[in-house]
Amino acid sequence: MEINVLFFGVLAEVTGTGRKHYRDIKSFDDLKHRIWDDFPDIAHYSFRIAVNNKIVNEDPLLRQDDVVAYLPPFAGG
Amino acid sequence: MHLTKGPVAPIAISELVAKGGQNHDCGAHSLFIGQVRRDQTDGRYVRAIEYSAYEEMVIGEADKIYKSILSEFSDVKAIDIIHSKGLVKVGEVSLLVMVSAGHRDNASRACAKTVELIKEKLPIWKKEIFEDNSGQWKENE
Repeated sequence: MEINVLFFGVLAEVTGTGRKHYRDIKSFDDLKHRIWDDFPDIAHYSFRIAVNNKIVNEDPLLRQDDVVAYLPPFAGG
Repeated sequence: MHLTKGPVAPIAISELVAKGGQNHDCGAHSLFIGQVRRDQTDGRYVRAIEYSAYEEMVIGEADKIYKSILSEFSDVKAIDIIHSKGLVKVGEVSLLVMVSAGHRDNASRACAKTVELIKEKLPIWKKEIFEDNSGQWKENE
């Protein structure tokens, strides 16, 4: 399946992009490994994951065209 | 919830107060105005903050904040939030919250709670930009 991945805050800087499109993704675990291969430095940062604007705590079941966002700790205000 | 590019203009405050005046059930409006502070780190002074946001998610999470405040404070009639995105210089306003309620105690407590929830729940990030143009990402405690 195809998944859009968004990076925010410091992670947009570390990855050098705010957005990347992935094809032939089999599962969230598969996606995670592809992202780590592309951007190994993100392992040094803390973040949460949102799928379609909702924060997920466990490995989510992904569907075609889902949007997965990498969210560093929030800093609004 | 509104994300505005650059600083929140001071006139936004009087516009909110004028809007609040149309609600005749309210006896109090509590305002929170957050501005960029000239912090110092290792001898470097902050000149601005660059804000970025996951805008779609901000709108959804702000709705949850509204619902949570309205269920906790039944006296609250309206909540308005304006937050900056992009560059905001020292001394400029980056966050404006107005909570309108029947009575002042509820207005001020609900306003303080709203600001806490904004800091905790909204997917917004900030990078301090120092006078030497170096930068540092910040996170809320």
